Amino acid sequence: MTFYLQIVTAGLATGSVYALIALGIVLIYKCSGVVNFAQGGYAMLGAYVTYALTRLGLSPILALVASVAVMAVTGAATEFLLLRRMLKAPVVAVMMVTLGLLILFKAFCLAIWGPDQIAFPQLFPVGSVEMGGILVTYNYIAAAALSLLLSVGFLAFYRYTPMGLMQRCAADNGRAALAIGIHVSNQVSVAWAMSSALAGLGGSLLATLNSLSLGLSSIGLVAFPVIVLGGLNSLMGSLVAGLLLGVLEAVTDGVLTPALETYLRSHTAIYSVGALQQVVPYLLVGLMLMVRPQGIFGERGTERV
Amino acid sequence: MATLRKLAVPILFLVTMLASLTLGRFGAYLVHSVAIAAIGALGLNLLTGFCGQISFAQGALLGVGAYTAGNLGNAGWGIWAIVGAGVASAMTSLAIGLPALRLRGLYYAIATLAAQFILEYLFKILEPITNGISGLLIQPLKLFGRPVVGDQALAVLSLALLLAAYSFLRWLMKTNVGRAMLIVRENELVAKGMGIDVARTKIWAFVTSGFITGVAGAMIGFTTRLANPEAFQLSLSVDQVAMIIVGGQGTWAGPFLGAAFVVLLPEAIQRTGEAFDIARLLFALRDMAFGLLIILFLLFEPRGLSALLRRLVRWVSSLLPSTRTSVLTVKSHPSPPGDPNE
Repeated sequence: MTFYLQIVTAGLATGSVYALIALGIVLIYKCSGVVNFAQGGYAMLGAYVTYALTRLGLSPILALVASVAVMAVTGAATEFLLLRRMLKAPVVAVMMVTLGLLILFKAFCLAIWGPDQIAFPQLFPVGSVEMGGILVTYNYIAAAALSLLLSVGFLAFYRYTPMGLMQRCAADNGRAALAIGIHVSNQVSVAWAMSSALAGLGGSLLATLNSLSLGLSSIGLVAFPVIVLGGLNSLMGSLVAGLLLGVLEAVTDGVLTPALETYLRSHTAIYSVGALQQVVPYLLVGLMLMVRPQGIFGERGTERV
Repeated sequence: MATLRKLAVPILFLVTMLASLTLGRFGAYLVHSVAIAAIGALGLNLLTGFCGQISFAQGALLGVGAYTAGNLGNAGWGIWAIVGAGVASAMTSLAIGLPALRLRGLYYAIATLAAQFILEYLFKILEPITNGISGLLIQPLKLFGRPVVGDQALAVLSLALLLAAYSFLRWLMKTNVGRAMLIVRENELVAKGMGIDVARTKIWAFVTSGFITGVAGAMIGFTTRLANPEAFQLSLSVDQVAMIIVGGQGTWAGPFLGAAFVVLLPEAIQRTGEAFDIARLLFALRDMAFGLLIILFLLFEPRGLSALLRRLVRWVSSLLPSTRTSVLTVKSHPSPPGDPNE
């Protein structure tokens, strides 16, 4: 029992980080209709910036805060320098630009920090506490707590503040928002800044759980199943789906894979099922798209001719 | 004049084919790399450019083609291995497309992303067919009992297949099915209103695009002579999407220009890098330039290289004192100021 509990706890911790990163993608999609394929790139860049700042002698927590700020500026700059000029371009072209950004970020980190895994500095105290018979390291607690806190805080910001109201206006109907005097482009800049900041924080947190490498950029690809499951236009949905997928991944890795392999080895010639936990989210996405394409929390859009 | 224009494309192909026979190994290698990439891009362009379905499973579909061609070729199927690869990829493309028939636009794109990852995973674990991570060794393609080896021969074969794919698509887009695809791209609801069977039209697009992609995949298999999972990852899909977007979606020149750009650019940067002796940073610089150029490109010409080419041709012809342009300027009515078409 404790074994399963341990797995689920670890899953919840990574899942909350997935939620954080997916939240950013949904935010940008809602207010500009652009799917940001570079989100994983921002997460990776954020983690590397945190690492670089601690190497410069900043204390870990200070470095984390500074890196989140740097990422917010990077995100706003991306919108200002690139996307604002592409308002009239086809959406596919804009998506391709974000893919170009992802390639650029990866190459940039490769040029500066090299292809090898780097031991990430300890952001949180070493050690663990016993909770309900299982050991949980401070890293996991801090990652989960920070992600959940920020996600909830972010949802509250979106719901209750004037700025959040403007964001929702811009997301709901850009033209109407313009008509009542909301600077929609600036709201999109704000969305990009927040989204990148969330991604940067998520990337740093994931790096504390695992380690720092270019592979972090593929986290953006995990975020896509999250947003499909949760619903492309639902912030709440990505939070729930993030947690769900985190647990599912951990369970697949810890329970399902060994069970399946023992079965296959005794009955077939297949020896290993490989990294099954990486495909399971996509199998779920396939299923979801067939059954309920708008996701758990998404709303089905209507279309006008 | 009209017949000359009709013949221009086959003549261009013939000249390139003959030229690639005289090229050295490296030149011929570049020719077949670009030609094979262009076949794949033509397939994707049918689906994305003409029918409006963005796909990120192109890399995996190329993989299905390569693995099928490899297995069939090793079993002695000869030229039929290429056909078999096309059929296998067409079936896979259909299998991805069928459940996605209800989905539109972005959701379809994400469904293909899921398919890409699932297929990548299958390449790794279906060891009896794919030989797992170590990869499947592929014997040279046998044509009329003789193995096709050497870059020159491969270049000629690739160009022939490219011409076949291009002519077929040209024909297809003149049929009712082809025209229906264009309307489905513009607006599915309008297409339905006009009595077009949207599902059937999309199925045609999936199958045809899949077949052409499978042929390209087979040629990748026969040129590299090794199919391993790492060669058919998402980055290959991204490369293919980049080709048609950089080249110009839904244009005829687009896939060719895009394939040349995406394949030749890394080669050019590699050559330049070697000249400056910065081999260590080369890989990073290559990707950096690739990413940066895609971004800059789309920023300044979102309609791609083919639009740029058209502008260039117009600019050059405006410089030349040609009778045709002068006739056109006399005949055309000067548009009033404030014309919405300006």
